[in-house]
Parts: sequence; structure tokens; C-alpha cells
Amino acid sequence: MAAKPLVALDHVGHSFDDGRIVALKDVSLTIAEGDSVAIVGASGSGKSTLILLLCGIRVPVTGRVLWRNRPVADPQAWTVIRRSEIGIVFQEFNLFPTLTARENIEVAMFGTGLGASERRRRADAALETVGLTDRATHLPHELSGGERQRVAIARCIINNPKLILADEPTGNLDSVNAEAILDLLFELKRARGATLVMVTHEPSYAERCARQIRIKDGNVYEQRARRARQEAM
Amino acid sequence: MNHLQLAFRNLKRRPARSILTALGVALAVGSFITLYGLSRSVQQNVQQSFEERGTDLTVRRRGIAEPFGGTMPQSIIAEIAEIAGVEAVSGQLLSFAATDNDDHVIAFGWAADSFYWEDVPLLEGRLPRPGERKVAIVGKDIARTLDKHVGDDISLLGDKFRVIGISNYTSIINRNAVVVELADLQEITFRTGAVTFISVKLAPPGGAEEADRVTKAIEGLGQFSVTKSEGVLQNDSLIGLLSAVSTSMAWVALLMGVLMVLNTLLMAVLERTREIGILSAIGWSKERIMGALVIEGFILSALGSALGVAIGIAGSRLLSAIPAIGRYIAVRPTPGLIVATAVAAIVLGILGSLYPAIVATRASPAEALERA
Repeated sequence: MAAKPLVALDHVGHSFDDGRIVALKDVSLTIAEGDSVAIVGASGSGKSTLILLLCGIRVPVTGRVLWRNRPVADPQAWTVIRRSEIGIVFQEFNLFPTLTARENIEVAMFGTGLGASERRRRADAALETVGLTDRATHLPHELSGGERQRVAIARCIINNPKLILADEPTGNLDSVNAEAILDLLFELKRARGATLVMVTHEPSYAERCARQIRIKDGNVYEQRARRARQEAM
Repeated sequence: MNHLQLAFRNLKRRPARSILTALGVALAVGSFITLYGLSRSVQQNVQQSFEERGTDLTVRRRGIAEPFGGTMPQSIIAEIAEIAGVEAVSGQLLSFAATDNDDHVIAFGWAADSFYWEDVPLLEGRLPRPGERKVAIVGKDIARTLDKHVGDDISLLGDKFRVIGISNYTSIINRNAVVVELADLQEITFRTGAVTFISVKLAPPGGAEEADRVTKAIEGLGQFSVTKSEGVLQNDSLIGLLSAVSTSMAWVALLMGVLMVLNTLLMAVLERTREIGILSAIGWSKERIMGALVIEGFILSALGSALGVAIGIAGSRLLSAIPAIGRYIAVRPTPGLIVATAVAAIVLGILGSLYPAIVATRASPAEALERA
């Protein structure tokens, strides 16, 4: 039985600077539950724009974005979806500098109806998952790049998202840390049955995904991964 | 961690700016309490001094701007005494008079037969004997300030008076006043036959209707204004002017405090645009983001208000400690004024944080995230 569509772009076009810079042209793309998708392409090709469109942070100029087969245009509705069903990991980690590792994770649970003690318990569990239990009370500047990205991943998964969006999650890491972060992302994806969409420049990282989507000149070209290492579908 | 702790963390990020803003609010609240308290205290202290002498109605010359400057003919006292329902009438002349060591005191002149003498609380000494002139009853505070004792001489406008008693009044004006025979004060101030205030005691049972009837009868005698003693100076134009000036200054101070909160939070919002984008990315609603910033505004204004209350109380005591002020006015901000000012500052601080909060959520999350 075919997997259910989770998020889809339906003839989506997006441009900047009043249409002078075209990022995406009439893109239709469906990402199903459980997919692992690598988005590749040159710098400035629109990879990050695609990620932001998939979670409603960007609103398409033309076309529509569907979440579980239903078009979603209302920013408030996207906020609710992001809070409960989407986790995002950024290249720059995007942690709050004044908050400890644990608090950076707790922040993502505000508005979920959980009490403070439960938020703390879950944050500690997430830190344990990413192997940072002993760094719970450290501020971001006291952590290494790899540790910061682990905190960001813990924050991303804290609300058990169905969709994990990772925008060049290894972009600021050395190769050893990059491999470790990828292992962690794929392990979490597998363990939680989530969908992973990952922007990357590195072909070997992209090959770990079941699907590869290349963006060029605003168009999307899909190709099957030659091999999906460590990916257990 | 909760929203309050999160807001504290953000404020601690720029400690100097946050402390300075809270101090700005504190100074605004402190100024408001002190200045507004001062304007209210002027009237309250005059009222207390009248109430202490047990009068029902106070008669003044109508239309005189200065509260103590207008005079009335002493002869009117007899006419008021004739009005039905009036039990007793006394006139008093008031003057700020130079005394020893280039100091100044409030001098009251009372006629020998005035009912004021009946209730003088003597700490030591005695009251004037019939026909006795150039003698003075000195309030206990001014006696201590000028180091005057029974038997000493005290100078008023260059004339010598012998201290025969020290009074033990409780209101600050009376504690710092020197009381002499009316004719003596009229003589040294060149205001023969004049009085500043006339106090009226109503015959029992008195009551509001009786007071209104007597008031109308007195006002019918000429250009006089009659107020209940507890409301004396309530409609005085000079006191009103003082009150308006100090109230305006107080409001300006408070609004400056609010603008500081607004400025601080606006800068914080502009500096944290990307973080606000991240909050949106992880599912914080606009309302929640706005709420977080408003909480920061609340903390700044609440801390400022708490400190401002302390500054206001200290400032009021400081004003009262200045001899030129404290001799006549005990600046005592009421609990009502303190609470109202603190609450107003907090509410205004919250309102001041609304604009930055709106600015914070106006930018699209994508733009916020892309901002370096």
C-alpha cells in the first residue's frame, strides 16, 4: 500500500524582489509519510526556500501547499502544524544564546499544554537521546558545534514531529561531527517513523536518503538515490 | 522554565540597558509620588491645622489668588456671630514673619476672646492673660528649631515677644506656628482691623443642612467664600496651580519612563529579529511572541515601580527634611497614591511594550530567519 502523502507542493512558484529573482517555477512535489528526501542543488538554487515553503514559513507566490492532502494557506494553521508536527534543524543551529541546552529544548514545548515539570522531564529525555545529558545546563557558547547541533536536533524532535526538515544540518560541522549528526538524524527518523527532508551540498550525505531532489533554475528534478545507506525503509 | 524566567533571561542579556530602563521607570514613579504627594500635602496640611482647632466653617475673602494673602475686615466677625445657628466665631490673621537668625515662621494672630484659645494643647507654660500683649505661644517644633523656651524672647518682624507657652499641636503647620494676640500681629504687619480667615462653629446639632444655610447667610454679607473646614483650600486657585504644575511634571516623568520601556524593548526586538523568527519556526504563535515581549515590559516596569515607590517615599522624606518645606508641609504620599502610581506605571509599561511586540510579529518569519 502506498504511503500517505504528508506534505505536497501543487504547482508552486516562488520569486523574490518583485519577481526579478525566480526561486521555484511551477513545482509539484509530494513527500509521503516515512520518506527520506535529500534536496540538492547549487547555492542560491532555492533549496532553503523549498524547505521554508514545506513548513509554511514562506507563502508561495503561486500554487498551494498541502498538508495531509489539505491545502493550508492560513499562517496560524501553519504555526499549529509546525508546533505539533514539524521539527526544523538549521545550519546555524539557531539556539537561544541566553538559554541552557535544556531550556532551548523546553522553549519548543511552550504552547503545547505541558506543565513546566513535564517540559523539563521531556527535555532531559531528549538530551539523553542525543547524548548530551551532562551538558543540560550549559549555554550554547559553552558547547562545541556538534553539541549545539545535537541540542538543535533534540529541540526539533521534542514534540514528536511527523516531518523533520533539516536545512544543511552539517554545514557548519567537521566531517566526523557531520557523520555523527547524520547518523543521529537517520536513527531518530527510523525510531520515530518520521519523514526526513534534508538540504545538503554533500552528495554522499544525499545518497543516504531514499529520494534525491535536485533544484536547478527553479525547476525540480527527482532522481532515485543510487543507494540509501543505513536507511531502513 | 516558564515565560517569566524566559523574559528574565532576555533582560539579563543586556543588563546595563535593562537596569537603566528600570531605573528610569523608578525615577519616574518616584518623581510622580513625590511631586503629586507634595501638591496634595499642601492642602492636607492646611486642612489638618484647621481641623485641629475644631471649626466647622472657614470664611475667606473671595477671589484672592494667594491662599494666605487676602484679608477681611475684622468687623464682619460680629455680623457673622449674629447669624442664627452660629455658636461661635473667631478671626485670625496669618503672616509669614521674619524671626531670629533670618529665619521665618508662620505667625497667627488671635483675638483675646477667640475660641481658638480654648483648645490650645499646652506642652508647658500658660496662655495669655486678659489684656496681656507682646506674648507668644510657640509650636513645639519651631521652639526646638529656634531653641526657644518659656521665658525667652522671640522676634517677629523685628518686634520682641516673650514666649509664655509651648503648644503641643499635632499638625505640622501648628507645630511650627507662633501664636500672638491679634492686635499685636495686625500692628506689626500694618494690617489693622484685618483678619485672613474667620472660623465658625455651628450650634449643635449642626449638620449639613444647617451648614449650607449658614454658608449662604455668610456669603450674603459680601465677597466672602465659605468652605467646610475639611475642604479648606480645596478650590483655591494658587493651590490648584501648584497642584496642576506638579501633577503635569509628575505625568511627564511617568511618560518618559514609559518611553524608556518602549525604546528598550524596541531595540531588543530589532536585535532579536532572527530569534523571533526561530520562535515562529518552532511553532510559537504571534500572540505568544507578543506575550513574551509584553512580559519583559511588565518586568521592567514592575521592577522600576517597586524601586520607584522606595524612591518616592525617600524623596518625600527628603523634601520634608528641607527646613523651607518641612516646616509647613509634611510630604506624606498616601498608600492610595503609591499603589495607584505603581499600578499606573506597570500598566503604562505594558502598553509601552505593545508597540515593540507588534513590530516583532509584523515581519514575516522567513525574513526574520534570513536576517543575520
